[in-house]
Amino acid sequence: MYDRLDAIDVEGVVRFVASMQQEDGSFFGDQWGEVDTRFTFCAVMTLSLLHRLEAINVNKAVDFVLSCMNFDGGFGSKPGSESHAGLIYCCVGTLSICRRMDALKGDELAWWLCERQLPSGGLNGRPEKLPDLCYSWWVMSSLTMLNRIHWVDKETLEQFILACQDCETGGFSDRPGDVSDPFHTLFGLAGLSLLGNTAIKRVNPTYCLPQETIDRLKLEPQILL
Amino acid sequence: MHGRLKVRTSEEEKYRKDKERQEKLKIFQHAMRKIISKRKQGEKDVEQLELTGKVLANNPDIYTLWNIRREIIEHLRKLQSDEELIKLCDSELSLTEYCLKINPKSYCAWHQREWILKTRADPDWKKELELCNTYLKLDERNFHTWDYRRFVVSHYRPPLQEEFKYTTEKLHDNFSNYSAWHYRSKMLLELYPDLDGGRPIQDSHHKHELKMVVNAVFTDPDDTSAWFYQRWLLGAVKSITHLVVFTLTPVRTTIAFNCHVDKPYLNACIQLYINNELVKGEFVSTGNCEYDDLWIYKHGYPIDDNLHAIRIDHTISNTETETLYCEKYMPCFYVGKNKINFQHNYAEPVLKELKEQLISLRQLQELEPDSKWTVLTTTFFLWCINSSEHHEEILKNLTTLKRIDSQRAGYYSDLITKWSMEKLLPNCYEQKCLDYKLDCNYKITSLPHLQYFSFCVNVDLSNQDLTSNCLPSLIKLQHCKVLNLSNNKLTSIIGLPELNLEELIITGNVLNIEEVEMYQLEHFSIMIFF
Ligand SMILES: [Zn+2]
Repeated sequence: MYDRLDAIDVEGVVRFVASMQQEDGSFFGDQWGEVDTRFTFCAVMTLSLLHRLEAINVNKAVDFVLSCMNFDGGFGSKPGSESHAGLIYCCVGTLSICRRMDALKGDELAWWLCERQLPSGGLNGRPEKLPDLCYSWWVMSSLTMLNRIHWVDKETLEQFILACQDCETGGFSDRPGDVSDPFHTLFGLAGLSLLGNTAIKRVNPTYCLPQETIDRLKLEPQILL
Repeated sequence: MHGRLKVRTSEEEKYRKDKERQEKLKIFQHAMRKIISKRKQGEKDVEQLELTGKVLANNPDIYTLWNIRREIIEHLRKLQSDEELIKLCDSELSLTEYCLKINPKSYCAWHQREWILKTRADPDWKKELELCNTYLKLDERNFHTWDYRRFVVSHYRPPLQEEFKYTTEKLHDNFSNYSAWHYRSKMLLELYPDLDGGRPIQDSHHKHELKMVVNAVFTDPDDTSAWFYQRWLLGAVKSITHLVVFTLTPVRTTIAFNCHVDKPYLNACIQLYINNELVKGEFVSTGNCEYDDLWIYKHGYPIDDNLHAIRIDHTISNTETETLYCEKYMPCFYVGKNKINFQHNYAEPVLKELKEQLISLRQLQELEPDSKWTVLTTTFFLWCINSSEHHEEILKNLTTLKRIDSQRAGYYSDLITKWSMEKLLPNCYEQKCLDYKLDCNYKITSLPHLQYFSFCVNVDLSNQDLTSNCLPSLIKLQHCKVLNLSNNKLTSIIGLPELNLEELIITGNVLNIEEVEMYQLEHFSIMIFF
């Protein structure tokens, strides 16, 4: 965002990230061997921002993500894990950066995602769970990458997001009336941007960064046709 | 922070709380400083284990401290006796258990437990599985516990049937346990694949699961979990890659498929013959992707008006090949179309079960005409059993759904669009015509299956409800010369792909004039009606 990638040791970062990739295409979070699709997304995103995706085996990374796909079209944290909107964002994001959106079951996944919307307008992350503001990002970014953002009701969602703002501090919380924090403030604002709120700069659905940053870096994450 | 209610507190209360927090912070900072300085000194000892343990017991999510503990444990493994090591590992397991009581969703505490069990010499997997049972009684939806259970099962290796039975029990306790449905879906494919027929699930088990779902949804129709499982079961049919349409002109040769395929597949399975001569060439994706459903075939064969015997072979399997023969549609324009069919194909016993269930679904719908899940499920059953025969009823139901489940109206509109296309396409493919004109009673809202129309020269998409989001998919219209998008809901033409258009009609949309003028300047050979 600050256009200061020169400030970091790019080679060092690339070397570390690449060294975390395993034989099956997955990524460790660190030397202690925890595997999670969140780490895959972080790895792929980091390298693509540095224009160094070729440092890893992209096909294997994609195959690993696809091995995490479930009966509902969603994704979990590792093969066999239950679908969860946060991890769906990580997996769809990985496929968007690697330009393999074709491998998704677009209609099935998007239906599951739009069923996350509850009568209050808010979104939950799994069936039968409470709504939470951060899912406005996980779900809506995924739906945007799937080109099906119009499958949820924007008006009631926007109302829910705005109701999560704490009028005293200005920050956003997970649900109306809870304590606000930076995490939910970011995802509340980014969610509003996806809904077309022009008071906020356009946010890229894959990277959760300003679109102008993505354009400057000449990145073209894929959107499903 | 999740689930922390903001409460109003008095000044006095606030002061007391702040002070309390300050105290805690002081102790925490003191401990952390000590831990870090000890690590710098390389002191991998029991004292450090105690220090980190104390901090973790209050803050289980500090990854660094777990990492420090692993360093120490690895170090002690080289020094201590077997008995001491057993004690060390046991106490580490106790610590994780303690931490998981504080935060059952702590990624790093769960991982520490996995790490200990994977690296110790005497793991007691049976005990771990029992621990999972206990935890899943406390919270049946904690996905960490389910993940841990799968980890334990992968080492302990109980018969998979037993795990399958466990999900049955869990579901009979509570049909709303989505986690159990999920786990069940994984094992169903592993335990009962249809190896002879090539379907995902054996007929008898497919049928059995459908019955179980119906049981669940009639017990509590408002619970959504089982509906997702049912949707999956309905879609569990065999899918085969087919050629859709092949178009040959002097400008370009294109091949469309019913699904996405990659270049190695094309090179291995597709052969083009003109005048009985094999035509060599190279495949290029229209969407600039590794996998695509519409490919351009670049070759040097001169295309004139006198070609005959044009055919394309597609090797589906060792025993099955499909061939498309091309016809001349107009001078120098050859098209070969396949027979197309979107109908799902079920095994006889499964189809019979679906038809029986449809009867009860319809009865239920009569009782509660405005129940979303009943209407939605009835609609999908109708579509799965015979989409063409039930077309009108399906569209009527979807219109109802737009009203009773208005939050998802966009989804239902897109389903109307998709299924209307699927109804139209087989007929359209029987006519020898290069026009694409929509002829359905509903306005379309998206452009599914567009690769099926890749051969069309005149494409009339006027008077629909298309938005600018649809524009990039028009890349599938590789042979289009005249494109009519008038009277839609376009707000911008950015995103319109580069096509060899002669005419573009975009009247009746709310567009920015400057944007269109700019586009005209860059595409002066296109006649734009604006
Ligand atoms: Zn949240």
